Amino acid sequence: MDSFGVFTVSASALAAQRQRMNVIASNMANAHSTSSAEGGPYRRQDVVFTTDPMASGQDGLTGVKVSSIVKDDSPFKMQYDPSHPDADKDGFVAMPNVNIIEEMVNMMMASRAYEASVSAFNMSKAMFTKTLELGSV
Amino acid sequence: MSDGMNVLERVVRQANIRNGVLSSNIANVDTPNYQAKDVKFSQVLGNEMSMTITDARHIRTGSGDNASGEIQEENTKPWADKNNVEMDQEVAKMTENAMLFEAGITLLKKKIQMFKNALKTA
Repeated sequence: MDSFGVFTVSASALAAQRQRMNVIASNMANAHSTSSAEGGPYRRQDVVFTTDPMASGQDGLTGVKVSSIVKDDSPFKMQYDPSHPDADKDGFVAMPNVNIIEEMVNMMMASRAYEASVSAFNMSKAMFTKTLELGSV
Repeated sequence: MSDGMNVLERVVRQANIRNGVLSSNIANVDTPNYQAKDVKFSQVLGNEMSMTITDARHIRTGSGDNASGEIQEENTKPWADKNNVEMDQEVAKMTENAMLFEAGITLLKKKIQMFKNALKTA
């Protein structure tokens, strides 16, 4: 029986939420990037979470991991700005499909989920410390 | 003499397992299609209590590694992403579970202390 598996579960959630935060930060940073390495404006990205059965596979321990980072295929916002170097012949610039409000909401959710897992981690830690104190009775 | 110890050990181990399951629920709060789980704890303990050992050679149900209990999926209403974790409930359950764990540990400590006291007076 893997007594410390519960810490791995909480840690996997912390890692996954942190990665989600990285992707959100990239989206917000590139909210106005009209050109990118693969051509065209920046495309919004999103993480996909999937369950990750722990190595021991017992006691119902289920971690979480980022299975993939997908690109959002929603259309770009067209903005009229003829003086922009990336403008097309009609004077429209394709702006990234990033919605700042949506990103902010996602960021709050990631932050809250992270906090919850930190709390769970601390609670497990307190429990283990209590068990260890049995030896000093 | 140590019957109480067995039951207390069981309580602590079960609380430990339930803590793991509840942590998994919290970890997967944003995972699509994830089903929240819980351990049916009182049920397992009930079985334990009704088991009577009438002979010293009987197998004690409180020992061995088979203490995982029954892990069941919760059938609460799922969210739009087919995930049915209710964060507030999970945190409440976890706190409750931690307190039960603490009660078990405290009683175990007291029991050990009692044995020690008995040995001292002898």
